[in-house]
Amino acid sequence: MTPLSPSLTAAPFSRRRLLQATACGFGSLALNTLLTEQALAAANPRAPRAPHFTARAKRVIFLFMAGGPSQHDLFDFKPRLRAEHGKKPVIPIAEREITVGLEKSMTLGPMSPFAPRGRCGMVMSDLLPHLARVADDICLLRGMTVDNRAHDQATLQMHTGAFASLRPSMGAWASYGLGTENQNLPSFITINAPGDVRNHGSAFLPATHQGTSVNAKLAGPKDSPIKYLTDTSTTPDEQRRRLDLLQSMNRNLLQRVGGDAQMEGVIESFELAFRMQAEAPKLVNLANESQATLELYGVGKEPTDKNARACLLARRFAEAGVRFIQVTMDGWDHHGNLRGNLPNLCAQTDRPIVALLTDLKQRGLFDDTLVVWSGEFGRTPWSQDLTSTQPLEQHGREHQPESFCAWMAGGGVRGGLTFGETDDYGFRVVQDRVHLHDLHATILHLLGMDHEQLTFRHAGRDHRLTDVYGSVVRELLA
Amino acid sequence: MLCVAALTCAGVRVLNAADTAGEAFFESKIRPLLVARCYKCHSGDKTKGKLALDTRTGWQNGGISGPAILPGNPKESLLIQVVRPTNIRGLLMPPKDQGDKLSDADVANLIQWIAMGAPDPREVAAPQKRSGMTLEEGRKHWAFQPIARPTPPVVKHRAWPRSPIDQFVLAQLETNGLPPAADSDRHPWLRRVTFDITGLPPTPEEIAAFVGDPTPQAHERVVDRLIASPAFGEKWARHWLDIVGYADEIGVANTVPAIHAWRYRDYVIRAFNTDKPFDQFIREQVAGDLLPASSIDQHRDAIIATGFLLLGEIHIVEADKLQQRADVVDHQIQKIGTAFLGQTLGCVRCHDHKFDPITVGDYYGLAGIFNSSESVYVTGRGVWSSILATDLPESPTHRAERELALRAHSKNVARLKQEHAQLEKELAEVNKQLAAPATKTGAAEPSAISTPPAADPKARKAELEKKLADLTNHLRHLDYIEPKSTPVYAIREAAAPADAHIHVRGNARAPGAAVPRGFIRVMDPAPWPKFSTTASGRIELANWLVRADHPLPARVTANRIWQKFFGEGLVRSLDYYGARGERPSHPELLDWLAGEFIRNGWSQKKLIRQITLSRAYQMSSTQNLAAAARDPDNRLLARMPPRRLDAEAIRDAVLAVSGDLLSGGNGPALALHFFENVGGLDPKNPNPVSYALKKFPEDQLRRRAIYLPVIRSGAQPGPAEVRNLFDFVAPTEMTSHRPSTTVATQALFLMNSEFIRTQAGKLADWALKQDAADDDVRLAKLYLRTLNRPATQTEQDSARQFLNATEKPSASQRRDAWAAYCHALLSSNEFLFRL
Repeated sequence: MTPLSPSLTAAPFSRRRLLQATACGFGSLALNTLLTEQALAAANPRAPRAPHFTARAKRVIFLFMAGGPSQHDLFDFKPRLRAEHGKKPVIPIAEREITVGLEKSMTLGPMSPFAPRGRCGMVMSDLLPHLARVADDICLLRGMTVDNRAHDQATLQMHTGAFASLRPSMGAWASYGLGTENQNLPSFITINAPGDVRNHGSAFLPATHQGTSVNAKLAGPKDSPIKYLTDTSTTPDEQRRRLDLLQSMNRNLLQRVGGDAQMEGVIESFELAFRMQAEAPKLVNLANESQATLELYGVGKEPTDKNARACLLARRFAEAGVRFIQVTMDGWDHHGNLRGNLPNLCAQTDRPIVALLTDLKQRGLFDDTLVVWSGEFGRTPWSQDLTSTQPLEQHGREHQPESFCAWMAGGGVRGGLTFGETDDYGFRVVQDRVHLHDLHATILHLLGMDHEQLTFRHAGRDHRLTDVYGSVVRELLA
Repeated sequence: MLCVAALTCAGVRVLNAADTAGEAFFESKIRPLLVARCYKCHSGDKTKGKLALDTRTGWQNGGISGPAILPGNPKESLLIQVVRPTNIRGLLMPPKDQGDKLSDADVANLIQWIAMGAPDPREVAAPQKRSGMTLEEGRKHWAFQPIARPTPPVVKHRAWPRSPIDQFVLAQLETNGLPPAADSDRHPWLRRVTFDITGLPPTPEEIAAFVGDPTPQAHERVVDRLIASPAFGEKWARHWLDIVGYADEIGVANTVPAIHAWRYRDYVIRAFNTDKPFDQFIREQVAGDLLPASSIDQHRDAIIATGFLLLGEIHIVEADKLQQRADVVDHQIQKIGTAFLGQTLGCVRCHDHKFDPITVGDYYGLAGIFNSSESVYVTGRGVWSSILATDLPESPTHRAERELALRAHSKNVARLKQEHAQLEKELAEVNKQLAAPATKTGAAEPSAISTPPAADPKARKAELEKKLADLTNHLRHLDYIEPKSTPVYAIREAAAPADAHIHVRGNARAPGAAVPRGFIRVMDPAPWPKFSTTASGRIELANWLVRADHPLPARVTANRIWQKFFGEGLVRSLDYYGARGERPSHPELLDWLAGEFIRNGWSQKKLIRQITLSRAYQMSSTQNLAAAARDPDNRLLARMPPRRLDAEAIRDAVLAVSGDLLSGGNGPALALHFFENVGGLDPKNPNPVSYALKKFPEDQLRRRAIYLPVIRSGAQPGPAEVRNLFDFVAPTEMTSHRPSTTVATQALFLMNSEFIRTQAGKLADWALKQDAADDDVRLAKLYLRTLNRPATQTEQDSARQFLNATEKPSASQRRDAWAAYCHALLSSNEFLFRL
């Protein structure tokens, strides 16, 4: 790698220097200061900012379980389901809750034994042996609820708070509210992102807060973890030479038009891109991780490899000062053959996730990193068989937004707490309900932000991540 | 029947006999209970959880958890849920520190009262919750005032203005003591006006013609040429599609293709290129299916136009069909508000507008109109719905064309069916062989299938079965794309048009009073037409929108057109003219433009001509230091602000200068005729047919961006990738304002993407092929083609230095150097901005 020319890479004030260097071409110093300040504000809305109050967590790692894991088989044990396995469920269901194949569904008991874990006695199934070991570190929410039973909308709501309109993702809000520590990296990174880009979009917030998508598992040597990150057909020297030419063209134009904040922003963005090109590949390269670490996560082994790489990357980004990191693990949408599929998903995710928690602890990052695990909704206590031909043992479960489970761990979270109760079918929440908006409010609170104060004016009104809803769930705070 | 305490737009309640008994019950059992146990926290200034229980509107509006009482429905009323010990969320009322829980008798009374319809005489009067403007205040709001006909002001610098536009602009500059910027040179002006009108750069020939035109009509000639070019509609239709939330995908679930959406896109391009009067354009989109037509083509266009109401983020996976219907209607009301009225009507679904004089009654008046129309239908695949399609009427020519296609298609189907039958026969043979004694294994009959048959009958069987399965799928695919008729997404009238009921707090299951169909009262104090029970009222709405004295649609449209040329609107909040929107920077100019627009028969092209031929539009983009210090946002228009090109223009310009761009491209956006692009054809699949754009037609890669498929939720595919980077508006939004952001991923794209690299290479090849005496001439041609101006001496010097870094370069080294130089040019600000 060629050493970069210092005047161009000394972030973050290269623009100021550039302007000083070319000041005579612009005219009065006062105006220059004005334009420079504007340009800086316009160009770096990601500069670190103080929170509203003392933060308990500096960053978030959001583990998104796409598809909706079955809480009945993992976290929310209901003896009644086991007792009435195979019987017709007697749940009063409103017309709007009717879903596909309900008339043929039967009560489906949990597929695996449950037991109390850790000193706290948190009840978990045998399907998550690794997570069971760290039960005392996690705070289990059993009364989660969202408002939509279709994947795309519920997923959108999980990420943005809204499912019927375009809103910024919570990672974008975090970046908007707090800026970020490492100016050479995006403030919001989403690893193995869901297909719908709105889930990591910035909507009406400045685009610089949008999530950057990173692929944890590469298809081949030419594949890049971040789109357009590298140009394999040009040497770094040639690229720098071309970039220098480009930047001189850009500076000449800037001088000709007598200053323009956006044009200056572009000049700076090329330098940031160039630095990212240098920094990001190092970060996504796992070669310098110890063998012990790779084994801890399960890198290079099946069935964990993909998620292990993703979780390990999450830790590396956390260390490098990225504000909000999301890891998506999909495949939880078990409409059929739950008994065959769910154990696979658990095996793919359990070790990497717990390795992440362990690794964060080892490196002293656990106490100021908030880890959140959740699907977009849960699954029904009764069975579903879309083919109408399978025996009960091959059935799956339908979507259920009425109640589901999520967990939190790390910065500011009360480890070992089980919060929330559902009815004896595990269908509706009967106590300590946490709506998604409450979860969002709590996440922002742990980051030191008041969800009612973090606003952005758009289309005539102030918008929030929590819209007009949500309250901080204080019981969850350590 | 009990009279449900009605929330009408005027807050007037109809009394009847049952009320008297109900109110007696309220006075004796309910009021004392509320006073004793609830008022402490939920009355007067104290409204915990924003819930007031001391007025009827208090519980109707409800607090943060929604309406407290659903009259007639105690079970779903929050109030009942929270006073019972077993309730959601651990929320128990009254709270423990406020004494005992309610007695069973009290709870029973509350239930009985709500079952009666919750009669409650406590009038709205007490704490008026209306936080917005009253109707009377509202009428005074500038945007609801009639469009004035201002006289262009007298200016000191008399020689400067070329048109009334210039007088308005200059007058404000003079008031503020600022001079207008000098006239722009011909090269940047031509580049500016060409990009602004067509989204493409001028060609070297066009530059030469304009620069060499000494007549005073030179500018006019350019503008007239540009607005007459088909490229005009290809750029400007996209601005409209941003507002529509257009995509080639229905809803956002499971990538369901909107197969016929392109017809609406092409309609908009056609309407803009033929300069269809904008009032007609509005009417067709709202009620085209109901308008009289003088030809089949006109009738077809008017039907296609109503796709406006259907092509947006309509949720098609929704088990609750009542809710879905309400959501679709809401989408349509919001769209009318945003596109034509510059109002945020979505808020009014649940409550009177918090800032603007628009009421729940206005909203449900419009809802009655759209509720009396059909937009979606249940598909029969589980929870799925889809948007309605109508077969277009056909002229003999249309029919002949389609039948020609159908014949070719049927021939293809027949051929495959024959092949299918042949394979089945062969399979039967093989099966027979397998069933027969082992001695008979021998050569199978030679078949019509070209591949040599496998020798082993078992392998042959597997092979045949696989082929049959593939063929079955192919036949399903052909069935799917069969040109049986010409369907298009279009709205239609419902069987029984009727007024809508208010949904209390937007809850479709909490119907309030019925509201007569109507429009937005604050915009029009005159009496409205009577709505019939045989028609939805969309015609009436369409006509109301384009009334010559309507204060909004012409203003909103003229302001949007202005914004496309000056970067910001005179009203910067392009889609919002409410109390919290911005006031216009030049109110008189705005009214003058809106008035001209109407007087010129709602002609977009005439307005564009007036704007682009103004002196204001000709101003240079060079920063004037004094003006910048005084007016940093350039609201006074002391110069032409430079602007980055939008995503489409960036892609199209790169293709144009590298010689790849093809003209035309209308027709289907999704290449569903490619078998591999269609999924879920199996009729047993519970989900609808889906698309996966794995293969693009070769020519589509080189068409203008407007013709590329638009994906609603995912990343924009293949050749449309530029949209992902440069502020394309996600089609879940309806907006006419695209931000112009600067992020590092754009720079990464410009540095490293295959697209830019490839096109830079092609541009270099073009430059090297030029018949040129030396590199300076070559560079001059390259600059004219990309930056649309001559290269300066300094630029030529530095370019030569860059290009000749290697001594005695080989042909490929020389090509690489030129490609790198072209790459820099294509990623430079001067190429990506228009000055």
